[in-house]
Amino acid sequence: MNEYTLKVRKRTFKRESVLGVIFISPWIAGFLIFTLFPVLYSLYLSFTMTGEGGHLKWIGLDNYLRAFGERDFWLSIKNTLILSGIGIPIAQIMALMAAILLNVRMKYQGLFRTIFFLPSVVPAVATGLLWKWILNPRLGPINGFLEELGFSGPGWLIDPAWIKPSLILMSFWGIGGTMVIYLAGLQNIPDELYEAAELDGANSRQRLKSITLPMLRPVTLFNTIMGIITSFQSFTQVIIMLDMDGGIEKSGLVYGLYIYTNAFRDFKMGYASALSWVLLIITAVSIAITMKVFKDRDK
Amino acid sequence: MIKKSIALILMILLCTMAFSKKEIVFWNAWGGDEGKVLEDMIEEYNNLQDEVVVRSVFAPIGMGEKIMATLSGNTVPDVITVWDWMVVPLGFRGQILPLNEMLAKAGIDEEYYINGVWDYGFYKGRKYGLPTTLNVTAFMWNKGAFEEVGLDPETPPKNIEELDAYTEKLMKYRKNGKLKRLGFDPVISHIYCYVFGGKLWDPETGEITANDPGNIRAYEWLSSYYEKYDVKQKRIFQAGWGDVFSPLNPFLRGEVAMKEGSQWEILVAQKFAKPDFDYGISYFPAPEGGREDVCNVSGSFWVIPSASKNQEEAFEFMKWLTAPKQSAHFAAALYNIPPVKDALNDPAFTQIIDDKMQVYIDLLTNGYVYTFPMLPIGQTYLSEMTQALADVQLGNKTAKEALDYVQDRITEELSNY
Repeated sequence: MNEYTLKVRKRTFKRESVLGVIFISPWIAGFLIFTLFPVLYSLYLSFTMTGEGGHLKWIGLDNYLRAFGERDFWLSIKNTLILSGIGIPIAQIMALMAAILLNVRMKYQGLFRTIFFLPSVVPAVATGLLWKWILNPRLGPINGFLEELGFSGPGWLIDPAWIKPSLILMSFWGIGGTMVIYLAGLQNIPDELYEAAELDGANSRQRLKSITLPMLRPVTLFNTIMGIITSFQSFTQVIIMLDMDGGIEKSGLVYGLYIYTNAFRDFKMGYASALSWVLLIITAVSIAITMKVFKDRDK
Repeated sequence: MIKKSIALILMILLCTMAFSKKEIVFWNAWGGDEGKVLEDMIEEYNNLQDEVVVRSVFAPIGMGEKIMATLSGNTVPDVITVWDWMVVPLGFRGQILPLNEMLAKAGIDEEYYINGVWDYGFYKGRKYGLPTTLNVTAFMWNKGAFEEVGLDPETPPKNIEELDAYTEKLMKYRKNGKLKRLGFDPVISHIYCYVFGGKLWDPETGEITANDPGNIRAYEWLSSYYEKYDVKQKRIFQAGWGDVFSPLNPFLRGEVAMKEGSQWEILVAQKFAKPDFDYGISYFPAPEGGREDVCNVSGSFWVIPSASKNQEEAFEFMKWLTAPKQSAHFAAALYNIPPVKDALNDPAFTQIIDDKMQVYIDLLTNGYVYTFPMLPIGQTYLSEMTQALADVQLGNKTAKEALDYVQDRITEELSNY
C-alpha cells in the first residue's frame, strides 16, 4: 500500500464519518433534547422543591429523606414487591408452558401462536377497561360463571384482600411477549441434544429438566429482567381498574401510581422526580440480585 | 421572476401580519351540546369586536398532565379550563396569573358574586381565576321509597337521628339476603364535617383544621355506618350500578333511597326517570349544634397562564364570558348555577328554574358556602383525610387520633410553602 492510497483512504474515512454523523444527527439531537436532557433535569429537580412563584428551591437530599418517612412510600413499595414477587415467577412459568405447547408441530400452529400473542397487542387502556368489566363482582362473566356453579364469587377489585390477586391475574393476560421470546429460545435448542437424550432413554420430564430448562437459562434471565422492569413500572391498567389512590384501602397503590399522584395531583415535581430515581435504584438492585442468582446457579 | 415572486409573497405576509387580529387561544373543556353552546358564544364574541379572534381548542381537563406540561413551556394558550383543586397549586407555583389588578380595574369585586363565591380561588390575598359555573350538592330523597316503607314522602329527615332511623327503614334486601336498596350512602365525607359544625380549613388564615371537634364527631358518625352495614356487600351492590348519565342511574332505579345530589341530576332525572318516579331535594339533615345550611360548592375555573402573551386580551374575553348574560346562558346549558349574582335573574337562566332548582339556589344564596380547601397542597390534604376515615372505619385509630395525625402532618408540610 503506497502513501497515496493511504491518504485517499484516510480522506474517504474522514468524509464518511462526517457524513455518518450528519445522517444520524437528527437522532442524536432528538436523544440529547428529548431523552438525556429530561433525564438529567429530573435528577436536578429531585433536589429541589417548587416554592412560591415557581422558584426552584434547592433542598439537597430532603426529598429523598422525606420519602423514607412517608407511609404511602413504603406501602407502594410493599404492594409493588408483592405483585412482582408473585406475578413474575407465575407469569414466567405460564409463558414457558405456552411456548412449549406452541412449539409442538401441529396443524394451525401459526394461528394458535397468533391467538396467544393477541392480548399483548391490545392497548393497556383497553385491557384495563376490559378486565374491570370481567372482574365486576355483579355484572362480570367470572362471577356470573361462579354463580351458575353455585359459588359466591369474590369481590375482586372492590375487596381490599382481592385487589392484588386480581391485578396478578390480569397481568397473565399480557404474557404473549415473554412467550414469543421463549419460543425463539426453544427453537434455538439443537435437536441433536434431544435425540441423544432419547437414545440414552431419557423420558420427556428428564429432557425438560436436563436440556430445555438449562438451555433456556439466558432467555429466562432476559425475560425475568424485562418482567421486573415492566412490573415495577406498572401503572396504566392499575389506574384504570382502580383509582388514583390504588383502590380501597390503597391495596393496589403501586409505585408508579404513587409517583404519578405526587407529580400530577399534588404537583410535587421535585418529590416525584426523587421517587423516580429511587425506582431506578430499586430496579437496578433487583436486576443485580437476579443476575447474581442466575450466575451462582451456573457454577 | 423568482425574486419578484418572493418579494410579492413577503409583501402579502407583511400585510396580513400588520392587519390581522391577535389570536386568543382558548382551551375549552366541553364537548357535545354544552361545547356547542360555548362555541356559539365564542363566535358571538368574535363578531362583537375587532381586536382579537378567539380560537377554541377542545382540551378536556382530565388529570391535568397536559395542562402541567403546557404551562411549563413558552408557547401557552391564553385561557384554559381547569378543575377548582388545580387553581391554587398552579397559581402558587407561578404558572397562572393572579387577577387582582385586572379585576379591580374592571370593577369586579365581592358584590359581583353570589354569597361567598368570591373567596373561591383565593390564596394569600391573590385571586387566581374565575369560576366557570357552580356545582352545588344537596340532599336528595326518593319519595316512592319513602311511601313504600310508610314514611311521609314530602318530609325529608330533619336531623341525624332521623336520618339514621330512615336509613335503617329504607334498607331493602332480597330473599337471598343480598341488597336491593341502600337507605343512604354518604360519599363526600367532608360535607358531614361541615354538617357536624366542623370545617376543613380557615379561608381567612389559610390554616387547616383537620381535628376540629365537629370533624371528629362527623368521622365517628360516618364510621357507625361502616359498622352497622356490611361494607363488602354494599360495595358489591354498588359495583353493579350503572352510569349516572344513563337510564341505569342507581337513584332513578331506586337502588339508593337517599343521597348527596347535585343540580345537574335534575336534568338527568328529566331525561331518564320513569314517569312515576318522584324525588325531593332539601338541605342536609344536621345534628344539634351542627350546621343546617351546609352548601358544598365545586366546579371548574377559567385561568390565564402566566406565560400568555395576550394577558389583557385574555382577561377581556374572560370578563365577557363570565358576565351575567353569558354566565346565565352557559350555566343553563350545563344545568349548573352561574356564580354571578345578576345571572340568577337573567331569563336565560330563570327558564330552567323549577322548585327543585330553587332549593339549590336558596342553599347557595343563603347557606353556609364552603369549597375545596384552596391550598397549595389541597389534594394531599384531602387524600390524607380519606385515609384517616379508612383508618377509623377499620378500627386502626380513633377518630381523634386519625385526625390529629392529619393535622400535624399537613401543618408540617404546609410550613414548607
